[in-house]
Amino acid sequence: MAFLKILFDNLRKGPATEAFPFGEAATPDAYRGKVTFDETNCVGCNMCEHVCAGGAIRFSEQEDGLHFLIWHNTCISCGLCAHYCPTKAIKLSNDWHLSHLQEEKYEQVDHAVVPYRHCTSCGERLQPGGPMLHQLAFKGTNPRSQRLMNMCPDCRRKASYSGEAL
Amino acid sequence: MDFFSKAARKSPWLYRINAGSCNGCDVELATTACIPRYDVERLGCQYCGSPKHADIVLITGPLTARVKDKVLRVYDEIPDPKVTVAVGICPISGGVFRESYAIEGPIDRYLPVDVNVPGCPPRPQAIIEGIAKAIEIWAKRA
Repeated sequence: MAFLKILFDNLRKGPATEAFPFGEAATPDAYRGKVTFDETNCVGCNMCEHVCAGGAIRFSEQEDGLHFLIWHNTCISCGLCAHYCPTKAIKLSNDWHLSHLQEEKYEQVDHAVVPYRHCTSCGERLQPGGPMLHQLAFKGTNPRSQRLMNMCPDCRRKASYSGEAL
Repeated sequence: MDFFSKAARKSPWLYRINAGSCNGCDVELATTACIPRYDVERLGCQYCGSPKHADIVLITGPLTARVKDKVLRVYDEIPDPKVTVAVGICPISGGVFRESYAIEGPIDRYLPVDVNVPGCPPRPQAIIEGIAKAIEIWAKRA
């Protein structure tokens, strides 16, 4: 009569089959899916490109800024880019709806432009940096660090020394 | 005969080809069919053992130089019309093996691919999503 217990348990639990594709599928928050990129926090260190196992990430330096490109069709979702990103500008979302028709194969690309900064004092071109880098470099924000942050190293040294940044 | 072609339109049979895959995607394909939690057979399809019975082909792996001829031979045995699904990033782009001396892929150099399911490996739900797209194409083509 052991089958009665199994029968009762099965009736209580309901079907084990997930509703997908006729309903929504449960996805864990930590699921490593499609890569997302936040150009406001990227510092242009190119570490994600360097560690990318599938060669999915490409950076190219152009006039208007640093061009970031990722082709999702060769990303293995290993998460190395997110792990090594110092400002966490690159992350893995839990979006896994990536299947597509062959015609859209080369459209599975995300492109972003990370603008260069310019020194507020002499106008020299600086590597990109955002609020997150500011937070990391100065351990908090204040008007002085804000001013120093947007200067080239030479001007920053002069400003610090002369005390004008105080 | 008309009855059979109508029935066939609703129940395509799946066939798997391993083109030098690491078995990750193959395990996910087995999971998709064998585990009640995913159960691809709800969509009216089932895996078959012979390429001659197949309607939808699921290809995994980057098409290594060693299996290329065998894969193409098996693919030719599948009767037309057929729908080809590339499962995993390897057949789509080569993935981590891209530009290796040992692979001949991406697979669309040699075979007409219809649906791509990227992932390394794609989760079973993603494979089911890809198969659902393939079934739509199959309904038009059959």
